[in-house]
Amino acid sequence: MALKKPAPTAPSSDDERRLARDLPGLLSALAAADPLARRWAARDLAAHPNASRALVDRLRIETEPSVSQVILTTLTRLGDEIAVAGLTECLRSEDAMLRNAAIEAMKQLPDEVAPVMEQLLKDDDPDVRIFAVDVLESLRHPRVEEWLIRVIAEDPHVNVCATAVDLLGEVGSERAVPTLHALKARFVDEPYIQFAADLALKRIAQG
Amino acid sequence: MTQARMISDEDFRKFREFFYRKTGMLFEDSKRYFVDKRLLERMDATDSESFRAYFTMVRFQASGEELQTLINAMTVNETYFFREEYQFRCLVDSMLEEIVTHTRQQRALRIWSVPSSSGEEPYGIAIYLLEHWPRLDDWDIEIVSSDIDTEILNQARRGRYTHRSIQNLPPSLLAKYFRRDGDHYLIDQELREAVDFTRVNVSDAADMRRHRHFDIIFCRNLLIYFDDLSRKQTAESFYDALNPGGFICLGHSESMSRISSLFRVRKFPEAIVYQKPWEAR
Repeated sequence: MALKKPAPTAPSSDDERRLARDLPGLLSALAAADPLARRWAARDLAAHPNASRALVDRLRIETEPSVSQVILTTLTRLGDEIAVAGLTECLRSEDAMLRNAAIEAMKQLPDEVAPVMEQLLKDDDPDVRIFAVDVLESLRHPRVEEWLIRVIAEDPHVNVCATAVDLLGEVGSERAVPTLHALKARFVDEPYIQFAADLALKRIAQG
Repeated sequence: MTQARMISDEDFRKFREFFYRKTGMLFEDSKRYFVDKRLLERMDATDSESFRAYFTMVRFQASGEELQTLINAMTVNETYFFREEYQFRCLVDSMLEEIVTHTRQQRALRIWSVPSSSGEEPYGIAIYLLEHWPRLDDWDIEIVSSDIDTEILNQARRGRYTHRSIQNLPPSLLAKYFRRDGDHYLIDQELREAVDFTRVNVSDAADMRRHRHFDIIFCRNLLIYFDDLSRKQTAESFYDALNPGGFICLGHSESMSRISSLFRVRKFPEAIVYQKPWEAR
């Protein structure tokens, strides 16, 4: 036994190659029994701008986390309206890993996510509103501060406001100061809000 | 000639976007001088009258030859033998030991070194195994090494090095595995024949699909040139290039935990590496 020269690297012909790599072939492979074939199909679908719907549909029923991860990456790469809607839908998932992966994916699509952000921040489900604030955490978009100010001005749920005020401590400017004072007045009996708003005010004052 | 031409801000942005789509490599504004200099050199070499003319050729040339030349010019290929040697110790003392313990059927173990650069890493791995892994008597090892830069791959196949490349090697190993060739050092022919060098663009799914069934991947200081999404995409392709239980080693400043949650962090005494779970499908 020793160092051995490998056989020349050539296109493989097994499992994931059984199906054609055109759109119909990849859509079939996306439903294959073998997770490896599904991952390769999801990856290759990044080259097909019309694949978002099929990927979103698969994501709803996919049980293998590694396949879901690849689907999310491809949806981020495609970044069209359907893809963004699919990512948004994941914010309602009970699966924490999927939810977090979707949040991370959405952070990378500032321009595409911006049109749905207002709607997300007004969602009926406070958890979805918290996750939307989590997306804002590193969304490179000029309206982030404006959205956060609106959340602490209007959102009735203390946990949503607490998440937003934490973030305002990091990204807020003088513009946020009056609303932070108003928040303290609105949740006068909530010690965490008092603490977090004071901290945000201090950080803003320090520049 | 070069001085007469300019790369405007808009040209730079256009080129950056195009190059990113093709390779996954993203040049920050701070790399502007580096990019401009190489673009102007290639415009000179191809007698292109303007950036626009050159860019059109790069985009639409059927052979893709100029794009490949440009990729060769834009990649950084600086390395040396036994760089970050602690990971090689981890390879022989921990990773390979775990893999052979779990592997019931006798088969060749496969190592992938990417990017190969001029070959210091894959040849260094080969030397380290020959010197420090006694089980090499019982197991076959295959080493594949890949790069996007075809010129550097040819250089790697030649195995000819300057003093700078070999300065970390103990004199005994230098004497054993190299011979002097003027001012250079030529690596032993058997070692040259033991490594399969291939061209791969890690951002290209079709390229990546051809590289599979590896037990260990060394991918050090490559992903730092990518943006978050390309980094994630590449990590997911590496996941499928690995056998279950396979390991990936990144550069000392890189962390897979910030890229993808598919891998498990493994803290061995010698190094932190990342593992595709044994139970992965």
